[in-house]
Amino acid sequence: MGDSIKKWFSLNLGNSNTKPSGSCGCGNPSGGCGSHNSENTDENAIGEERHKDGFEQVFDVKMDRRSAFKKLTASLMVGAGAITTSCSVIVGDETKEKAQIDWEEQFKGNYKLMSDEEKKGTVDRLVRSYQLRTGKTISMSSKNAEEDVLFGYAFNISKCQGYMDCVTACVEENNQDRSSQMEYIRIHEMEDGKGFNFNEADDNYYHEVPAEGHFYMGTQCFHCDNPPCVEVCPVQATWREDDGLVVVDYDWCVGCRYCMAACPYDGRRFNWSTPEVPEEEVNKNQHYLGNRMRKKGVVEKCTFCVQRSRAGKNPACVEACPTGARIFGNLLDPDSTIRWVLENKKVFRLKEDLGTEPKFWYFMD
Amino acid sequence: MKDKYHILYALSGLFLVTSFFSSCKHQEHEYHNITDKIEAESKDYQGISISSEDFIGDIKTLEISEGAHTFLIPERKSQIKSYTCTECHSKSLAQMQNENEAKKAHWNLGLNHADANTMNCVTCHDGSNMDNLISLTGNTLDFNYSYRLCAQCHTNQFDDWKGGAHGKKIASWAPPRASMTCVNCHNPHDPGFKSRWPAKFNTQTEKERR
Repeated sequence: MGDSIKKWFSLNLGNSNTKPSGSCGCGNPSGGCGSHNSENTDENAIGEERHKDGFEQVFDVKMDRRSAFKKLTASLMVGAGAITTSCSVIVGDETKEKAQIDWEEQFKGNYKLMSDEEKKGTVDRLVRSYQLRTGKTISMSSKNAEEDVLFGYAFNISKCQGYMDCVTACVEENNQDRSSQMEYIRIHEMEDGKGFNFNEADDNYYHEVPAEGHFYMGTQCFHCDNPPCVEVCPVQATWREDDGLVVVDYDWCVGCRYCMAACPYDGRRFNWSTPEVPEEEVNKNQHYLGNRMRKKGVVEKCTFCVQRSRAGKNPACVEACPTGARIFGNLLDPDSTIRWVLENKKVFRLKEDLGTEPKFWYFMD
Repeated sequence: MKDKYHILYALSGLFLVTSFFSSCKHQEHEYHNITDKIEAESKDYQGISISSEDFIGDIKTLEISEGAHTFLIPERKSQIKSYTCTECHSKSLAQMQNENEAKKAHWNLGLNHADANTMNCVTCHDGSNMDNLISLTGNTLDFNYSYRLCAQCHTNQFDDWKGGAHGKKIASWAPPRASMTCVNCHNPHDPGFKSRWPAKFNTQTEKERR
């Protein structure tokens, strides 16, 4: 995608090379901004937005006056800010750049539909924006799924001792909000001889572990191969990547929490307040789909530490587990340890009858 | 007129049949279940561009082959502080026991592994050559391959470890496989995991549930 044809409108504030293209005020060359009424604006059923990308997803939608105004107000706030800064002679280049970034971020498309170049663009903007706001440099990746990789996970119930080292590592690795203590991983303490009784299990114990007569098992996002959370998302802000990871575009999520209701495993978490991480504890090795800083009102969850796993490292929980209860690997590699576990141990998954096909297996010694 | 109806019936019948078959197979879900998918897609697995070597770092490894499995484990001897042991232990155990004023070495080491009927120091350490370990039948075993000593009794764990169900990998899931060996997690003199307090307590959940 060249500079001349962009999927969304960009505003030139005098410090960037990009120029708004197109013949109308919205800058969309294909004429889908609403002021030109083309034929295809009328046929817009759910599921069809996958054929439209970026700018069109926002504007090429038939909507009533009320929702149109709602959308416009949000955008106008950004626009107004951008224009005041661009017109002012007092503000410095940095403020202008910040406004430029805010504008481009406001009107960027869905990450799922972006080309590699666009992905890199948004990641660069986010890194720069963080630098302008905090003065700190982070590294953010937009690495795509590797060919011939399908991630899978196995959990050894007889090894887990309930030490919770995995939870601590996960919170730190993934920049999770410290005050709400929303945690991706739950460790359930269950009584021996009662089976998986989640109603009676304790997932917030505090005593010496392992407790007599109890066993422990962890749950988190199972990265279903047939994920119900993805089906229900009204804006397609969550999807399954080619390497099997179920991911969320935090900038596209509208916070409706349908996905949380649809998940049969309680795998998703919601940011009721703006997540806060002390500056010195921020993990600066980030991925767009993973542990980058979230905002208020979006859903997040375990991504098998996409920033680590796509690079080749084990997820933080696997690395932190002192007992080796957690096994992670490539399901498509016939020589991988995860494949050996699946083929040689008596494995099972939770709620298998739902057909969600989780890629998270449990087994015992 | 009748012919027209015939064609109509035939067409609608054809439509029903095709829609019945096509509806069973959802477009997005090519495979019946994940096991089928794994089997089918791994058939022409060519290997991947990611390697675990970038993450092993400074850890010296050596390649072992056990059964059908070949993988890397950390090298051990260079990690033992005062190896070789014979730099101090110049006399064999038999000689030392005969001396009247026997010096006690490693007095701080206890053995909390099986019971006294099953194990003492010389079950694993070679009394006549302290630089090596010794198998139950008296064969010399290298410190680098100490897992073979453990495997004499812990056969199930050994099988699981070889396959990858027991133990941890070093840093990376990618090939070549590099796994920790027994003594990287278990202290051979006291191999059990101790009971302790959890690393974390969620005060917020506690509050919400009250």
